[in-house]
Amino acid sequence: MQQGGGSDTEVTWEDQQNINKFGRLNNRFHELEDEIKIAKETNENLEDASNELILTDEEVIRFQIGEVFAHVPKDEVENRIEQMKEVTSKKLGTLEEEKEAVLAQMAELKKILYGKFKDSINLEEE
Amino acid sequence: MASSSTASSSASGMTERRGIPGAQFVEDVQTYLTQSGFDVNSALAFLQERLQQYKLVEMKLLAQQRDLQAKIPDIEKCLDIVASLQAKKGTGEALIADFEVSESIYSQARIEETDSVCLWLGANVMLEYSCDEANALLKKNLDNAKASLEVLIADLQFLRDQVTITQVTMARVYNWDVHQRRMRQATASTAQD
Repeated sequence: MQQGGGSDTEVTWEDQQNINKFGRLNNRFHELEDEIKIAKETNENLEDASNELILTDEEVIRFQIGEVFAHVPKDEVENRIEQMKEVTSKKLGTLEEEKEAVLAQMAELKKILYGKFKDSINLEEE
Repeated sequence: MASSSTASSSASGMTERRGIPGAQFVEDVQTYLTQSGFDVNSALAFLQERLQQYKLVEMKLLAQQRDLQAKIPDIEKCLDIVASLQAKKGTGEALIADFEVSESIYSQARIEETDSVCLWLGANVMLEYSCDEANALLKKNLDNAKASLEVLIADLQFLRDQVTITQVTMARVYNWDVHQRRMRQATASTAQD
């Protein structure tokens, strides 16, 4: 976000606070995008894992807990993977919701700031 | 680093937070320049230097944030293991696990039922705890790490706000200067006519 032009519009404390808020929201937006990407990858990995489980005919699976691989019976592994998938899906849902909220707030602020400063302010991505 | 943060009167907001100096909001550029005694170039130089200082602090805080964000999953993994050991306790079975001896080399371990675990505390120190104590200690460490992370994130937000305020002030001082020059040229050319 840069400021440009040589205008005569005065910047009030309220304007400054709006600009600050926009900056914070923008940062949060990028963080959320990264977190959503990671959550989607984790989801995919869990999907692949459950598919492998269905295909395998071994009774004992080596399931990673911390740094070691514990020998766990297939049923228990299935349950654990289901649980992990649920947790990740919920997390993904919350992140997407937050992203929508952040985008909406940013659009509001853009309207206000462009309304006052028009060409003197640039709120787009570089 | 000073640990108190004071809020100043009027609309300028926090004056500092945990050692990070707050950027003073400028209500009017003319007044700011006359009060501080700066001319345009020194004001811009001063603000630029402030910006550099903020960048340095930001690097430090980001590094601390990365460390904490790596530590938290580690603690959660330890909690997982302790929970698994506790789950196995009732069954009478041993836990069989494959662990890494060296890169790409794994060996099998048979972990019998146990009431205690050893926790690595750092600095080449490892202590034995009962499963419950271990849970409590790990939980406490996890809570502390999460709390520190929150404070750190709030610090970073404050810092970024100060950076934005400083950048906006620099732009306004510069624009004011451009405006002044234009007006001077305008009066100079009308005087010549």
